Amino acid sequence: MNRFLKLIYNENYKIYIRKSTWVMYAILALLIIGGAFLTSVYGDVDKGYDANWREQLEQENEQLLAENEGYGEDEQYLTTYNLDEIEVNNYYLEHDIEPTGYGAWQYVLENAGLLSIVSLLTIIVAAGIIANEYRWGTIKLLLIRPISRTQILLSKYVSVLLFAAFTLLFVLGFSFIVGAVTFGVEGLSPHILLDTNTGLEYVSALKQIMTEYGYGLVNLVMMATFAFMISTVFRNSSLAIGTAIFLMMAGSTIVGMFSERSWAKYILFANTDLQQYAPGYTPWIEGMTLSFSIMVLLVYYIIFMALSWIVFTKRDVAGN
Amino acid sequence: MELVNVKKTIGKKEIIKGLSFTIHRGEIFGFIGPNGAGKTTTIRMMVGLMQLSEGDVRILGKSITTDYKAAVREVGAIVENPEMYPFMTGWQNLMHYARMIPGITKERIREVVALVGLEKPIHEKAGKYSLGMRQRLGIAQALLHRPAILILDEPTNGLDPAGIREIRKYMRKLAEEENVAVIISSHILSEIELICDRIGIIKNGELVAIQGVHDKDHADESAVQRIVMEVKPVDAATRLLKEQFQITAAAMDGSSLSFDENKENIPVIVKALTKQDISIYQIGASNGTLEDKFFDLIGENIIE
Repeated sequence: MNRFLKLIYNENYKIYIRKSTWVMYAILALLIIGGAFLTSVYGDVDKGYDANWREQLEQENEQLLAENEGYGEDEQYLTTYNLDEIEVNNYYLEHDIEPTGYGAWQYVLENAGLLSIVSLLTIIVAAGIIANEYRWGTIKLLLIRPISRTQILLSKYVSVLLFAAFTLLFVLGFSFIVGAVTFGVEGLSPHILLDTNTGLEYVSALKQIMTEYGYGLVNLVMMATFAFMISTVFRNSSLAIGTAIFLMMAGSTIVGMFSERSWAKYILFANTDLQQYAPGYTPWIEGMTLSFSIMVLLVYYIIFMALSWIVFTKRDVAGN
Repeated sequence: MELVNVKKTIGKKEIIKGLSFTIHRGEIFGFIGPNGAGKTTTIRMMVGLMQLSEGDVRILGKSITTDYKAAVREVGAIVENPEMYPFMTGWQNLMHYARMIPGITKERIREVVALVGLEKPIHEKAGKYSLGMRQRLGIAQALLHRPAILILDEPTNGLDPAGIREIRKYMRKLAEEENVAVIISSHILSEIELICDRIGIIKNGELVAIQGVHDKDHADESAVQRIVMEVKPVDAATRLLKEQFQITAAAMDGSSLSFDENKENIPVIVKALTKQDISIYQIGASNGTLEDKFFDLIGENIIE
């Protein structure tokens, strides 16, 4: 076990000693800082309310209604926006909840979209971790150690997942810090008002963050495993990056194209979004259930892993 | 280390057709053959990078096919070029490999670095190393775990003459003091001749000969050898050899004669020459170089 940890240490060392990895993190940091900057300058950020929040909300509603009367026919979207605001304010008033201002927790939640960037970076790392050893020629020196190929492959795969975890933690942590500095913190147990399909809902921000990021992780792990498999089988990182990113982007389109066919529900991308089974959502294709999707995902996952394993452990390492 | 009827078939083509030989501890074994003969394929099979189609490789009695970990533990190798992680320093590269085998201390790494003479540039990025420096780092990497068998593919490739000499001296030391079996593959024949104790010649996947390099030292006294003699005057000496010994000598670069004769007859010839006031500046005898033997065995360099 100790040796396996050392293998994982080696792989992580090779990932983090390279400048390209730090460029990835710099890009993420810039996106997070830039996002906070844009939100604070152009966004409609609630500053919060004081003890007279009820009166303030009512005043706001009157003001919004007055604004609406001033808008013309062609400015309907503004009218709708204001009506939504009024609805939110009324929810607070009806349920007697004091609204909290925009803050770090909400910013973290909004950055759930960055998960696709994390997926992208993980795909790049997964695509390179085997293919690069072949490209550098170091695979030969790596494999002539008294360690089974299975262990080497596994240490590399675990390192890919660790990279995804670290990067995700970085996004969460850095978003919170940047959010806290820019907008302040809403408190220890923050709640937000969520506009779901079934109407407005007052939920815990923490829980919502876990849910949003959690659903995104499924796709991340599947695509990273796919890139890892392509990288192992074809020993070509560009091919692995290309196909994985293409499929990640085009996944829903592919499902859409074949949605009429009976086998469409067996397509990987019809199943990667598990949020379709959450209350208030409808599955993409009728008759699909959560357990069905989990089964399909498992089968794909096992195929990806088995292919990588068979090819990596059985292949002769011949000339380049 | 022992190879037993090792065969490798890729597709329908048999690339290695049943190699069997043994390498003993403390000896330096040269592995030569023309390009495409199967040297690198054989070496890849010896270290487990390629699977054997048939036969077995045993290292200290442990089979590479059934007891891979224990067998490969005893092997240190460079296969083809000594490729390193270019973005890591020499030291970081060595640390990386050291972590993969238990029991390698920093002390040992420093020792190995000193041995290959890389103390100064060890903390520079390996990507900036010259081929010679990478070759040294490659050897260092192969020695970290004190292997019983050291396999080096073209080890002096890219080294300057001083470096080659150093490596040669070092191989000798390893073989003699640490009882390591060293296997060197090369196509530079003169070099193999200088370093190795025994040579295996491979051609088209078959072992054509195994031969001790130093056998000639004990060679039969009566064997015909090529004699080269620097004499003055040349024409008088040529005539004398023809008349008294029935030897047809060929004149070489104006002042030397070359002919084939038994070693035991040399003193008689020398006496006859000096009696006639012919000056002899130097005499040399050779068994013919390894190169001559190599081409005798290999014939033309044809890749099937």
